Amino acid sequence: MTALNRSLGNLSTAGKVILPLLFLIMVVAPVLTILFALFVGPWLVNVLNSNMGIVRFVVAIGGVLLFSIPAAFIIIYMELKVIAYMNLRVGPNRVGPAGALHSLVAGLKVLTKEDFTPTSSDRVVFTWAPVLVFLTCVMTFLVIPFGPGLVGQDLNIGLLYLFAVGGMTVVGLLLAGWSSFNKYSLLGGLRSAAQMVSYEIPLTLSVVGLILLAGTMSLNGIAEQQSGWFTNWFVFRQPLGALIFFIAAIAEANRTPFDLTEADSEIVAGFATEYSGMRFGFLFFAEYVNVFIVSALLVTLFFGAWGPGIDIGAIYTWLGVTPISISIDPGSLGIGLLGVVLVIPVALTVIFAAPFYLARSSTPAWQALLLGFILFNVVAIGALFFLAYVNLDWVAGLVWFMAKAFAFVYLFVWMRATFPRVRIDHLMAFAWKWLLPAALLNLFITATAIVVVKSL
Amino acid sequence: MNTIPGIGLVRGMSLTLRRFFQPKATIMWPEQKADVAPKFRGRLQLLYDEYGTLKCETCFQCAQACPIECIDMGGVDTKGRFHVHWGAPETYGERREESALRRSGRPVADAAFARFAEIDLAGLDAILEAHDYDPKEMLAILEETQAEYGYLPVAALKHISRVTGAWYATIYGTASSYGHLQFEPPAVPGAAAGSATVGGAHRAAEDAFRSAFEASLGLAGRAG
Repeated sequence: MTALNRSLGNLSTAGKVILPLLFLIMVVAPVLTILFALFVGPWLVNVLNSNMGIVRFVVAIGGVLLFSIPAAFIIIYMELKVIAYMNLRVGPNRVGPAGALHSLVAGLKVLTKEDFTPTSSDRVVFTWAPVLVFLTCVMTFLVIPFGPGLVGQDLNIGLLYLFAVGGMTVVGLLLAGWSSFNKYSLLGGLRSAAQMVSYEIPLTLSVVGLILLAGTMSLNGIAEQQSGWFTNWFVFRQPLGALIFFIAAIAEANRTPFDLTEADSEIVAGFATEYSGMRFGFLFFAEYVNVFIVSALLVTLFFGAWGPGIDIGAIYTWLGVTPISISIDPGSLGIGLLGVVLVIPVALTVIFAAPFYLARSSTPAWQALLLGFILFNVVAIGALFFLAYVNLDWVAGLVWFMAKAFAFVYLFVWMRATFPRVRIDHLMAFAWKWLLPAALLNLFITATAIVVVKSL
Repeated sequence: MNTIPGIGLVRGMSLTLRRFFQPKATIMWPEQKADVAPKFRGRLQLLYDEYGTLKCETCFQCAQACPIECIDMGGVDTKGRFHVHWGAPETYGERREESALRRSGRPVADAAFARFAEIDLAGLDAILEAHDYDPKEMLAILEETQAEYGYLPVAALKHISRVTGAWYATIYGTASSYGHLQFEPPAVPGAAAGSATVGGAHRAAEDAFRSAFEASLGLAGRAG
């Protein structure tokens, strides 16, 4: 025992940590893995299989919660960078490559800031209002179909659920404004409530025509009806509805030119005046998650959801070509798979390193190998991604969905860089005098058209 | 054009999109330093020492160095109550020179002041006489002065200021706002490479910006 103690004492502090960790990784982990695979695994699979609904729900909840944070980070970074570019500036460029980690650091900063609660504010409500706002945003993710079969819960009243949950945001904002014990916060909260309630009506009415056409309120169903060529997209059958939805959605997401709820350059901060630290962070995050949700909704409802807008199958039949199907079954290799897994990375690394080593005699071997390894990784990941895109419908769908959604996020950021803010009375007048009648007109025309077409 | 509703939105959006792809104006400080004009003196600010008293001892050197005489000297009275302006701005130059001479006891010898050298004022006097010493004809006076001397010597500008009564700053401003009036002697073709940098070729960014700016205004062909 003393020998063990002495040898432990000879280790540096880092060694004292690493050695037990090494023991855990090399001995305990394999033993536990084998035990798990032998005894716990089959039982666990059995239990999970028999409760598929719950598992799906938990996975979906975890997925959207985990997804919302990086989505917000990316959108914040995108906003900083794109607006900077449009102002002929460079934007964040110090943290990470091209400042890509800037929003991450901003998030950490928000976490470390003092979380201040005003005296005689309503503590419980004050604490939970941002959570409510954030939660309503995240909950709307549950029904959005990111790809074929990639939907948290395919509710048959998905659209209704979406508007119902999205409408709860107003409650959160009102609570935040009221509980702050600050007249400006209260006024800001009331103002945002007025705006969001006003724009909720044209927002909801603008998609009723679409629901009549689609015959379903399930977002998955609506998405499936727009597959194939882009002419199937609902934007071509409901252009007015799409326009109204777009405008109302900007107001719902509190974006420029309708960002009166938190007009960052004019009023204090609206309902968020008294908020600081991570509670403000939640409100802030919710805003950006909202931007993504609105973009995702636009894509899902009007712009073909996950479909690329091109019917590849039709093109193949027109050309008379059978599509190339790449199907690799790694299981067929048997034990040889182990050899392939061991050999291919090394072989490809060396092959990719060779040109670097041979091209310039001054390149050290380790540098060439490192470059080769990086190149191998790029190629391998690219190949894997390509295979996944070709073979898995949901990967291809996800790629297209994200591309379209972020195109709309870009549009929102672009608008923020361009437009000035609308005055509050103009805002309200526009909602009630223009958008609402236009939405009703759209509904009327759509219903008439459906009746006429059916009677023909 | 403006009658189409919503065209303003489209035009604004197209402007920002064009800006998005244009080269950026940011100078990546501190890796890259700004291309600052040599007469730039930075921010004007009075400094305090560690005891909290003003470091300024009214030596007028800042006012003397100021190329366009925009620095003016003033202060509060001995009880610290009223702001005091020391005399009319027109007389700053004289008092400043007087003060600097009194403090140093001798004129400051500096190679940079070589172009303040005295010139033969006979030709200039003839020009001024022809224009009846009228500051309203300043542009013509300056152009003829440049024709006489080849450039606008500081001594000539000072003399014009003294006899016409126009402020030196005004004359300087008039002269500097016209591209064809120059303050430096024309470059001698056979001069050494070292002296060529005095003229203006060392401010590459400014020249590039100016030529791009003039090109954008359709002035590319005109002499700058």
